[in-house]
Amino acid sequence: MSESPTQIPVGLLSQVTKRRGATQALDGLDLIIRPGQCVALLGPNGAGKSTSVALLTGRLHPDAGQVRLFGGDPRDIDTRGRMGVMLQEAGLPHTLTVSEQVDLFRAYYRRPRPLEEALRLAGLDGLENRRCGALSGGQQRRVQFAIAIAGRPDFLVLDEPTTGMDIDARRGLWTAVRAEIARGAAVLLTTHHLDEAEALADRIVVIDHGRVIADGTPEAIKSQVSAVAIRCRTRLADADLASLARVTSLSRDGGRVTLLTTSATATLRELLARDETIDDLTVTGASLEDAVTGLVQAGSPAQRQTEVA
Amino acid sequence: MSTLHTLAIYGRESRAQIVSTVRTPQFVIPSVALPLLFYGVMGLGLSKGREEVAHFMLANYVIFAAIAPAMFGFGAGVAAEREAKLIQLKQIAPLPAGGYLVGRLAAALALIAASVVLLGGLAWFGGVRMDAWRWAATLGLGLVSTIPFAMIGLNIGLRMGSQGATALANLVFLAFSLFGGLWIPLSAMPGWFGDIARLTPSYYLGQLSQMLSGMQPMANVEHHVSILVAMTLAAVFGAWAAWRRQTA
Repeated sequence: MSESPTQIPVGLLSQVTKRRGATQALDGLDLIIRPGQCVALLGPNGAGKSTSVALLTGRLHPDAGQVRLFGGDPRDIDTRGRMGVMLQEAGLPHTLTVSEQVDLFRAYYRRPRPLEEALRLAGLDGLENRRCGALSGGQQRRVQFAIAIAGRPDFLVLDEPTTGMDIDARRGLWTAVRAEIARGAAVLLTTHHLDEAEALADRIVVIDHGRVIADGTPEAIKSQVSAVAIRCRTRLADADLASLARVTSLSRDGGRVTLLTTSATATLRELLARDETIDDLTVTGASLEDAVTGLVQAGSPAQRQTEVA
Repeated sequence: MSTLHTLAIYGRESRAQIVSTVRTPQFVIPSVALPLLFYGVMGLGLSKGREEVAHFMLANYVIFAAIAPAMFGFGAGVAAEREAKLIQLKQIAPLPAGGYLVGRLAAALALIAASVVLLGGLAWFGGVRMDAWRWAATLGLGLVSTIPFAMIGLNIGLRMGSQGATALANLVFLAFSLFGGLWIPLSAMPGWFGDIARLTPSYYLGQLSQMLSGMQPMANVEHHVSILVAMTLAAVFGAWAAWRRQTA
């Protein structure tokens, strides 16, 4: 850790447990977000991503452990005044126009951004006087983004920000997020799109079953799993494939199998010997998606607990 | 948080909620038109030439006019906005606790003020005459009655889904109007009606309204007011508990 001890983390979850209904949503989660960092929180559905966001934004209170925002309680209104949030599931009032809605949220903050600037950064030029109810899904997400940056936040929380957006809108939003990072804002991003995490984040935290199973730079996460991904069509069963030399994980996508291996040559030699009908074979460096799938598959968090950061 | 900043937020939030309400004619028109129509037919039409009946009915109808907007616009409306996920962001944003509710209450009050003033105008054209202070007091009480009804509606809105809240608010709205004696005088109803009436805030508000408009001598005012205050406080406490439970 290179930071000075006096530097207060932007967001901190320490040994947090939280039960939601019958499931243990968080089970001793540790997460620290430092000033200027862009952290992507990845994991399968139900891993605890949205619970983590709800705790950091003060909507939920932990059963045990500590949650801090800028060193304070997230339920304290002045603390939340330094944060801007884009929620995955939040709606907009149909009857207000885009500028009325963004302007209303600006009013909550002490030193808000000029309205025109917030609208422009979110790519809402020309839509200012449109009623929110008349917007497409992607346009509504842009209004949510404008609301999130309306207070010039030091901490931007983006929960699945580009859901429903087309490619151009996604790239536009990435540019805007990068500008916020360049301005010095810390970002917490949850996403299902690994390209999005790779494009924006300088640190990736993978969680599953309410615990951190990997934490590091995108490169570190990739190298941590296995260096190489073998993709092919094969008639071998999963059990046979998993028993091949040096295979660390396997997943199927339609008819194609992806094997992660620490040694492509060792695995390939056995694979080709066992199944001469093999087809559609490629060997590539593991993508971030491969890495995250591999980490989640690797099972018990305790075994895979890693401290790369 | 400075007081000025907080007040400014309340003002902005109220303005946004009022604008939002005005742009929902499917809610505004029935809320205002229904009491006017009922009063025009039952209060003025049927009482032709008997101003005291029109006068008596006006005192009831200013209370009636407040119930629907307070219970639906405010109470069940909160359930709808919760379901449409409009509230989460406001709970996260640095909006003072209650700012959202103050805004919605302001919108309900604005609508009810318009409704009550129109009722007063209709009564005046129908020949109802009273002292200026009695006009102000009667119409003012109609406006104030928003508070207990809104708080009861809020309990429904915070505890139920949107559809359930609308159904229950409808039921309570009808019960308050009927058993409170706002449509038909309790004296014309069987005795057990009067027993049920004493469980509704609309009964006490109706009684006070009769007194303020001069149709009934002032009596038991403290008793009526303290029961209303107790009902309102119980509703506020219940709503507060339900609001807190959302962020458990």
